[in-house]
Amino acid sequence: MEYFTTELLTLLFAALRSATPVLAVVLGEAMTQRSGVINLGVEGQMLLGAMTGFAVASVTGDPWLGVLAACFAGIALSMVHAILVLGCGANQIASGVAVLVLGSGLSAYYGTPFVGDKIDTLGNLNHTFVSDIPMLGQFLGPITPTVLITLLAIPAISIFLFRTRTGLRWRSTGESQDITRNLGHNPMHYQLAAIAFGGLMSGFAGAALAVDYTANWVEGMTAGRGLVAVGLVIVARWNPWYALPAALLFGASEALNLKLQSWGVNISPYLLATLPYMIPLSVLMLSYRGLRASGGGMPAGLRVVFQSAR
Amino acid sequence: MTSATQPVVKLTLRLLSGPAGAVLVMTAIFVVATLAFFAINGREAVSLFQEMVMGAFGDSYSFSETLVKTAPILLTALAVALPARLGLISVGGEGQLYLGALFGTGAVLAAVDQPGWILMPLMLTGAMAGGALWGVIPGLLKTRLGVNETISTLLLNYVGILLVSFVVHGPWKNPNSLGWPATIEFPAGAILPQFFDTRVHMGLVFGIVAAVILHILVTRSRWGLGLQVSRSNPRVGATAGISYERNVLIVMAVGGLLAGLAGIAEASVIQNRLQDGLASGYGMTGFLVAWLAGQHFLRIIPLSVLMGGLLASADSLQLYAQLPKASADILQALLFIIVLAVASLWGRRRTT
Amino acid sequence: MKKAIRTLLATSILAISVQAAAETKVGFIYVGPKSDYGYNYAQEQGRIYLEEHMDDVETVYFENIPENADVQRVMERMVRSGVEVVFPTSYGYLDHALKVAEKYPDVHFAHSGGLKTSDNLMTYFAEIDQAMYLAGVAAGLTTGTNQLGFIAAHPIPQVLRNINAFTRGAQSVNPEVTTSVIWTSSWSDPTREAEAAEALISGGADVLTGHVDSPINYVQVAERRGVYSVGYHADASQFAPKGWLVGAIWNWGPMMVNIVNSAKDGSWKSEHLRGDLLTEAAKLSDFGSAVSEEDQQTVLDRREAIMNEELQVWAGPVFGQDGKVIVKEGDTMTLEETEKMDFLVQGVQGRLK
Repeated sequence: MEYFTTELLTLLFAALRSATPVLAVVLGEAMTQRSGVINLGVEGQMLLGAMTGFAVASVTGDPWLGVLAACFAGIALSMVHAILVLGCGANQIASGVAVLVLGSGLSAYYGTPFVGDKIDTLGNLNHTFVSDIPMLGQFLGPITPTVLITLLAIPAISIFLFRTRTGLRWRSTGESQDITRNLGHNPMHYQLAAIAFGGLMSGFAGAALAVDYTANWVEGMTAGRGLVAVGLVIVARWNPWYALPAALLFGASEALNLKLQSWGVNISPYLLATLPYMIPLSVLMLSYRGLRASGGGMPAGLRVVFQSAR
Repeated sequence: MTSATQPVVKLTLRLLSGPAGAVLVMTAIFVVATLAFFAINGREAVSLFQEMVMGAFGDSYSFSETLVKTAPILLTALAVALPARLGLISVGGEGQLYLGALFGTGAVLAAVDQPGWILMPLMLTGAMAGGALWGVIPGLLKTRLGVNETISTLLLNYVGILLVSFVVHGPWKNPNSLGWPATIEFPAGAILPQFFDTRVHMGLVFGIVAAVILHILVTRSRWGLGLQVSRSNPRVGATAGISYERNVLIVMAVGGLLAGLAGIAEASVIQNRLQDGLASGYGMTGFLVAWLAGQHFLRIIPLSVLMGGLLASADSLQLYAQLPKASADILQALLFIIVLAVASLWGRRRTT
Repeated sequence: MKKAIRTLLATSILAISVQAAAETKVGFIYVGPKSDYGYNYAQEQGRIYLEEHMDDVETVYFENIPENADVQRVMERMVRSGVEVVFPTSYGYLDHALKVAEKYPDVHFAHSGGLKTSDNLMTYFAEIDQAMYLAGVAAGLTTGTNQLGFIAAHPIPQVLRNINAFTRGAQSVNPEVTTSVIWTSSWSDPTREAEAAEALISGGADVLTGHVDSPINYVQVAERRGVYSVGYHADASQFAPKGWLVGAIWNWGPMMVNIVNSAKDGSWKSEHLRGDLLTEAAKLSDFGSAVSEEDQQTVLDRREAIMNEELQVWAGPVFGQDGKVIVKEGDTMTLEETEKMDFLVQGVQGRLK
């Protein structure tokens, strides 16, 4: 029994570590979509954040500066999406893909000189009071600051969205821009802020991956995590609290893949590697009825985006 | 301004504010942006730009290599454009390409001893089936379960790539390849015909023919008109007997089929086997080209050639200026952003 | 005065062009970034060595070229721009290189690894499994849990040789040792490598090694979790000052110089050129502080034995994972057999996927 719980907890915390970057993007993109804008470019923003974070951490020797720089990089790139969508009225899906390719190219290009650099990491909770907690200490010890920050963001976002007036206007922008206008506010301001916040979170997520989790940079290292996160936003019904189990689902399937291999399970690692993509897809399929019944939870403004392909 | 020049100026302005003007502005901005990109990175901007153009179209070898890249881009762009006519946003070209390669290879492996006139059609049919399958699945998910096709096609892309890895590392791995994950070499009967002494192959012809056929079908035929009705108002379409759901499945299947052909062409002619790394991002490039073309099938043809040239010339950038491959991706993205911005602004101007 | 300047200018231009004509252009193609402290880094070091040790050689290189037919175009462009000796450095380039070699019979191709040649294409490689065997000895002497972890990319013979050599080296000093293998299915995927490393450590391994393009990821995880690491391709000890044991590294430079010289003076042989510990094409890196003096000596003694052929890494008996005999006592595997290796030895846990 004890072996079983140890294994389960190991898996859970491995899933959490693996899920953190994805969770951060889900939270950011959920906020963006709550204002009625979808941004597929989060994948590119994540890559650019990862590269910038790593490069700055390498050059300055300070990983926290790297994380900060990554956030700014994410915001900067997201502004391209904002200019295209809000400024020029371009199609959101197309613009997102453009941002994705741009971020991917820029990070590969400017990241090349930094490959192989060694950086200091953010440290973890080992050797603090946390790791001395009986039983759980060994699992809580390896937790790093980015995990904590991301977890804290969940209640913060929830309070903002559902308990503040600004949050209310934010959400109403996603439901109907007219309502917001009638209330005397410019919906574009909220959408701009939403896109920027998404940029911040995806840049942060990239730093969590490169500066924190792997302390390394390789081009394309996000491997589609940003795009999966966009799907997970729907799985999470645009609710920050549901984002955690949604992201954990992804992280668990990744961790499971490796765990199964190390247990000697006889399934091809490639088939196992499809799990992180199939599981969110299955959840999307299964939640059909629930979505229909409750109206989906999708901000109405978003529905229009998905229906047009100009 | 004299009274003689006034109408000329007016006409020019009218032309410029139309699509011709948009294209001019886009091209100008793109050239400037490219030169600026080279200059910022400390390279001889103008000569490098020339090198790039030469690398794409300069001699017969370069041009043939451009056409090699054009074929899969053209086909995957069509795979995006057709569903777009129904208002669907599919980003699934990459996955459909891989599945087409997968099924096509399966056909080859099953019939490997057959003569060419049996093997080739089997291979092509297999590829079309595989690509169509990977298009229909998101289609069904959308019509039956309301799953958004952009998300489902994106996720299925990764699954498709992994499925190819699975067979190539496992059941279909060539026992003589010393463990290197690849299938056996395709027999000569399974290799698409090529032109002259180059790597340009029939896939290009498939693509051009498909583009023309689709154009005629969608703009002239009853079905095509039905598509347009279905897209703008599915309910009205339904009363006229046009099923939105059925159209979704048709366009996704046909689009997937075309991307599947691109996949088997790559495997058959270019790689001569199925292996990992079959298609470096053609799906995404196809998406960009479809959008650049405004989802117009005929416009996709020249744009695919241009994009093929851009990608094929990427080596000259590395060879002559030590610019990493990624510079081609940046230029691709810049082009797309410029086109999106200008097209949207121009479109806005006309409606206001 | 003007005439003098003109003559000077003319002669210098002549000199430059003559020199340019005499210079041999050599081209390199890497599958990944040259600064990965791993496989590509090692090849790049070879290129730098070549430039430093040969006067009339000019090199160009391409990074991040994937192992598919795109590389054919890259090679062709290289050749068209005047490159006379091409080094396609990644295993998966072989068939493509053969095709391009056929088209340009006057250009010489030296491919890294593989067992196919043509008139103008040879292969070069090194018996780095000898070094991995020694690294395994160090690991076997140091491990406390008797569990080793190996992070592997693809189950091709080169990788299997390393897993098996490492395990056999460890078993030779510590018969209880087992090696757990996790496949990442990619030459380079830092996230997966990091996760695999974490999983192996959680499973009990206290020495990590691997065969992926860059050792940086698992070495850093090992250091963070306080376990030992053994490197591969290049010396990555700076990433693990405490836990680094030793590394198996390449030393391509001298071999590359020989190859280019043979192309220039006509002594080119289309062969399978193989270096080893003796010829120093594969080496053992410096030891880390975690290896005791005594253990270092044991390893070095073994190295002597390998170099004067007293000890053969692939001499029988060799048992498979299921315990069956693959190589009988008294037999030794041939070069070709090792380069076609398709099994894992006893003591290795993990599926041969």
